[in-house]
Amino acid sequence: MKWTDFIVPIIFIWLFQLLIADFLTIGTIRPDFPLILILYFSVRYGRSIGVISGFFLGFIVDLSGTAIFFGLLPMTYSLTGYLAGNLKGLFKKMSPVSYAFCWALIITIQFFIFCLIQYQDLWAFNKGVFLGKWFGTTIYTLSFITLLQFISPLHKNE
Amino acid sequence: MYGLYLAIVRHKDHLLFILALTLSLLLILNNTSPEMGVVRGKAAEVVSFMSSPITFIRSLMFLEIETQILRKKNLELSLQVESMLNLQVENDELLSMLDLKKRTKLIMKPARVVNKGLQPNLLSIVINVGFEDGVYKNQAVLTPKGVIGKTVEVGGHSSIVQLITDLNYRLSVRILPSGATGILRLIKNGKAQIREVQKNVKINIGDKVVTSGFSDIYPSGLPVGSVSGVFDDRGSFQKIVNLKLPNNMSSFQNVFVIIEKINEMD
Repeated sequence: MKWTDFIVPIIFIWLFQLLIADFLTIGTIRPDFPLILILYFSVRYGRSIGVISGFFLGFIVDLSGTAIFFGLLPMTYSLTGYLAGNLKGLFKKMSPVSYAFCWALIITIQFFIFCLIQYQDLWAFNKGVFLGKWFGTTIYTLSFITLLQFISPLHKNE
Repeated sequence: MYGLYLAIVRHKDHLLFILALTLSLLLILNNTSPEMGVVRGKAAEVVSFMSSPITFIRSLMFLEIETQILRKKNLELSLQVESMLNLQVENDELLSMLDLKKRTKLIMKPARVVNKGLQPNLLSIVINVGFEDGVYKNQAVLTPKGVIGKTVEVGGHSSIVQLITDLNYRLSVRILPSGATGILRLIKNGKAQIREVQKNVKINIGDKVVTSGFSDIYPSGLPVGSVSGVFDDRGSFQKIVNLKLPNNMSSFQNVFVIIEKINEMD
């Protein structure tokens, strides 16, 4: 396990998110590529690496954006890294559907926590719009992960 | 101690997760600290520098559409500005007319210039008041800057005004403060002369010229212009005074007709 195996994809994904993600924006929703990378890292290397990479990448992304709640992404990405790290080595013990359901659930939880803090006013005053934001961001990123399963399935990275 | 080390190693995932959560919470709670602001400011500079090529490419992508929108907007704004400038000029003119009407004792009828004729030289204009409005032939017409002519033909709701710029126009004037009188006539475009002025009076450049009041048409004291030059007429006992007319004859749109005479000097 070389350090470049982490740094190069992180830098690549960070640049991709910074420069290209805007072209894929629908309304105010854009795909979360760093989250996808953390999911892959966690499933491949386990919880520790998942948490560290999640925190580090979240910190970089927050630092490069205009985050209102600075520190929110390190927290949610760390959580994703921790939860997804538990999936390491589980593919052989679970059915593919359950396995896919697990990572989809982790992503959904991550976005729920993110939206809950980011859009707390919406949660309090307009739950419909809040749910729209949550489902929108979740489904958009999940669709990219689903597409990736045809190119590089998660379980192949275990 | 070894047991603690073993416990840490065994539960390092959980401990790391707790540490990450704690650090994240600390970051969230210190969002407003000045140090955090400095760090984020520096990071924003780096990000801005790195994003600039993509921003440039994106701006090129939308350049044509943006240019079209801006061109349209520019045209709209130009027309708007033009309209506003015209309105401002008109407003200034109307304000000065209002001011004149307040200042003077004369009874005046406001009128609007409806036609300036087709002649190459502006000799007469048509105004939108006539005998139905109390306007008759040979009444003085002026603007806040001074006399511009007199009515020569009057219809029901319109009148023709002979302008001071007509070569056939004559006006009896007085030069202030000397009080010398003379007859004003136009020499060429925009330049007028006062003749029949006695040689022994002292006249300076910049002296005010007003109507003398000797005429049946013009009450005394109406502004006409200012002296721009004085010289002696050789072989006679008279001076010739050059006059600068204050009105630009091609620009005014609103005038007054004096329908009842009270001498301004009185």
